[in-house]
Amino acid sequence: MKKPETNKDTCGCSIEDLLNENIEKEEKRLCEVSKNDIEVFIEPDAEKISYEFYMKKQTDGLPVIPPTGERVRKFIEFSGLEKDDLIAVLPPRSGKATVEKIAINSVMAGCIPQFMPLIQHSIKAISKEKFNLPGVNATTHPVAICTILNGPVTNEIGINTGTGCLGPGNIANSTIGRAIRLCLMNISGAIPGIGDHATLASPSKYSFCFGEAEKETPWEPLHVERGFNLNDSTVTLMALDSPHNVNDHRSKTAEDLLDTIIHTASVAGCNNSHVPGEMLIIMGPEHAKTIADDEWSKEYVKEYFHKNAVVPVELGDRGGRKLDKKWIRDGEIPITRNPADVTLMVAGGPGRHTMICHGFGTSSESVTELIKLADGSAASSVLDFKNK
Amino acid sequence: MRVNVVEKEVMDPLAETAANKIELSSTPEKINKITYFDNTKPNADVILNKIKENLNIDSIDAQKPAGDGATEEQMKEAQKGDVVILALGDCGSCTTWVILDAVRLEKEGKPTICICTHKFADYAKSLAKAQGAEDLRIIEMEHPIAGLKENDVKAKTEKIIPEIKKLLKIN
Repeated sequence: MKKPETNKDTCGCSIEDLLNENIEKEEKRLCEVSKNDIEVFIEPDAEKISYEFYMKKQTDGLPVIPPTGERVRKFIEFSGLEKDDLIAVLPPRSGKATVEKIAINSVMAGCIPQFMPLIQHSIKAISKEKFNLPGVNATTHPVAICTILNGPVTNEIGINTGTGCLGPGNIANSTIGRAIRLCLMNISGAIPGIGDHATLASPSKYSFCFGEAEKETPWEPLHVERGFNLNDSTVTLMALDSPHNVNDHRSKTAEDLLDTIIHTASVAGCNNSHVPGEMLIIMGPEHAKTIADDEWSKEYVKEYFHKNAVVPVELGDRGGRKLDKKWIRDGEIPITRNPADVTLMVAGGPGRHTMICHGFGTSSESVTELIKLADGSAASSVLDFKNK
Repeated sequence: MRVNVVEKEVMDPLAETAANKIELSSTPEKINKITYFDNTKPNADVILNKIKENLNIDSIDAQKPAGDGATEEQMKEAQKGDVVILALGDCGSCTTWVILDAVRLEKEGKPTICICTHKFADYAKSLAKAQGAEDLRIIEMEHPIAGLKENDVKAKTEKIIPEIKKLLKIN
């Protein structure tokens, strides 16, 4: 191929040539004050930044995305708010969870900007007094913070509600929970060994976020049960033990199946066995169908669970503090205080499994927060939050 | 030509804190009644009873939850004493709420003494500082307390009694 001809005056010349052009005629184009002629900004080295942040105890140990101003700005643009707006003050460190600080930690977690409204609403939810974040953060118990998504936003962001929804493989499940954890560490002060004293902790503290499979549930979804409209989107935050599996391939009736679940839940050593409290049941769709086919309502399932999930008083008394006699019922301690303590929802894929999570006893109450815009109206899409 | 390659700066994930400084209440010259605020952790009652027996001053026994804040009613009960001694911080959530409830009492003008085990004392102090109460009176006991026999807990308690007396300005 013939080499194209170049014209030195118009094209093909190097930048160096252009910059040196006429330099001898003292028509200098370069600033003499500056140390440099040109500054080229490049992305920070993720490996280096991850290491630096890790050494300052600002990460969960996994690599982070460097929170450059440019990246953080994109997240703030999806908050619907200004960068200095205060979402909450997070105890026990009394850290100011501003939009900007939440955005920085969300960038680090590997989120995409569109997740920002869900994270900021989750942070607001856990700051509610009844959630008891000071206790949840600092306890030697392994309690983790679980985020459950409901409503149209679940589909919009593509969070996994089906097969493997409590495991790896989906960016929303993996990073929203992680962003909340990084906020807990860097805003709230829940640094392991410093502000988080979990004796062993649990893998759920890395990320614990999923959505309800609303098309699979035979009952009303969680947010509707808690008083919101079907078309509202919500985040529900719960302080929970890691999920424990209930494998039941044999039960053919609602009663048999629930008895297996109840047996798995009724154990000494969980907080609920000596201070009854909330409990989450994440029912696989096939199990839910077995129960619904026997025409058991959600309300009845919760009543049945509450009535039958108990531990003998001598086992309950082995818990973390002195057993308060007020919980004893005919020589037994109920795992929950009332049927409303049982949060029942449907998620997961094919297979005959259910997951149960004990709560933090009487020391934390779950919070459901409506995803709403700054004017208080319910958001129909995360895109509604994008600053105009 | 001088070209400088600059890495973009990263932003700081750490938040500022919102707490204001709290002036601690001083312990009165004459103490008529001491509240022993038991968070029901195993052996907290043994510690408090041992202190009570040793000080021999009129007392009020009050209880509060271990992993959560005291209720308003429990706070009112605790405030009936001239000084409140809180026990026990020997885990994360109970230490948190021993400190936070003590800070609440100090804000009400009630002097407090918190008893925590040495494994949780650094955390207790940093938490108090974050709450604006850097000088909160925190006494360290040797960890562990839970799971010990009563006599062992009493023996550990004896070691902290001189410090309690000093804080209360009594002999």
